Amino acid sequence: MASSVAVVQPVSESFLKRFVDLIPGVLLLVAVGYAGKIIERSINQYGKAHHLTLPNIEYVLWAIVIGLVIANTVGIPRIFQAGIATYEFWLKAGIVLLGSRFLLGDVAKLGGISLVLVVIEIALSLVFMTWLGRAFGLSPKLTTLLAVGSSICGVSAIIAAKGAIDADDEDASYAIAAILSLGAISLFIFPLIGHWLHLGDQSYGLWAGLGIDNTAEATAAGALYSDAAGKVAVLAKTARNAMIGFVVLGYAIHWARKEGTEEVGNKAAFLWKKFPKFVLGFLLISAIATAQVFSKDQLVSLANLSRWAFLLTFAGVGLRTNIRELGKQGFRPFIVGAVGEVVIAFLTLGLVFGADKILR
Amino acid sequence: MTKNIEPPQKKENQQVSRFSLDTWAVFLALGLSLLIWAGVIKHVPW
Repeated sequence: MASSVAVVQPVSESFLKRFVDLIPGVLLLVAVGYAGKIIERSINQYGKAHHLTLPNIEYVLWAIVIGLVIANTVGIPRIFQAGIATYEFWLKAGIVLLGSRFLLGDVAKLGGISLVLVVIEIALSLVFMTWLGRAFGLSPKLTTLLAVGSSICGVSAIIAAKGAIDADDEDASYAIAAILSLGAISLFIFPLIGHWLHLGDQSYGLWAGLGIDNTAEATAAGALYSDAAGKVAVLAKTARNAMIGFVVLGYAIHWARKEGTEEVGNKAAFLWKKFPKFVLGFLLISAIATAQVFSKDQLVSLANLSRWAFLLTFAGVGLRTNIRELGKQGFRPFIVGAVGEVVIAFLTLGLVFGADKILR
Repeated sequence: MTKNIEPPQKKENQQVSRFSLDTWAVFLALGLSLLIWAGVIKHVPW
């Protein structure tokens, strides 16, 4: 009896403690996100009351900017950090719920086109980034991590590849820092270029989903443009995320052969382990919505839940971006990443223009 | 005595983190969808 208590109690205590540790940070995400929503509403109301035409700046931008200001001025006390790190969790829950806004036919059509573009984008990005890394004299594993990060899905891909190719922690943090700082820059530049080029919602959404590496930033950049562009950006980015297992498996096999280390045993199990499960959740909800299981009001509620989840994500994007820390990272990986991002952005824009003709 | 207790404790800890973050996010989203479909959550405002 005594021994069973001794075994079970620490587990439940640690679970409870981990849960309690998350609360301050999650509350901060809610506060920052909701502040963004209040600012958007207040500006709109002020404009209407005073008959002024003010630019409609979405809550997305306010939430990110407030988060950035807090993180880079007063800083984030340790008590909030665990909860802020949950922003990825809310992002994935939000994407699954967003599946309710897509009919399976749309997913198949747009997702199919996205998948074709994703395959082209990944192949070209991997080749270009590998060449660029070599040209700048980066270590082969850092080059691999940067190539995987910029061709597929940012931080998640780098973490997955790091374990698979047994890369150093230092290389992984260089690659993550480069991808995050470039993601933060893309977040603001993509909408500006999109408006400048007068891109339609669908084209812009595809471009943001294909060109921006980290899922949170791609989602935010899409939502900053318009609601419809945000939906397409998430779908394109989800198609890109679905490829993570295949690319990481390829690199794992390559490095195992090169270094003579242990080969990947069960490839199907490896693929399943690396496959982002939220892609399946997204497809499942989309299938349920297509089968008209939900009423119109219920679909509105699901869409709103997805928005709330994204609200927390956008607050987290700002709060976890520490500009000083990013600046301290290596100069060369950043340059390689930046050059790569610009080239990939142009490349994906070309692909989108090509796809636009097919979609019309 | 300590030796007898430690292994199951490790096992239990492993069981706590059996599912990935992705999977928990899917569970949460599906659970909330179920509550909306069942009418437990009637309306989510924005």
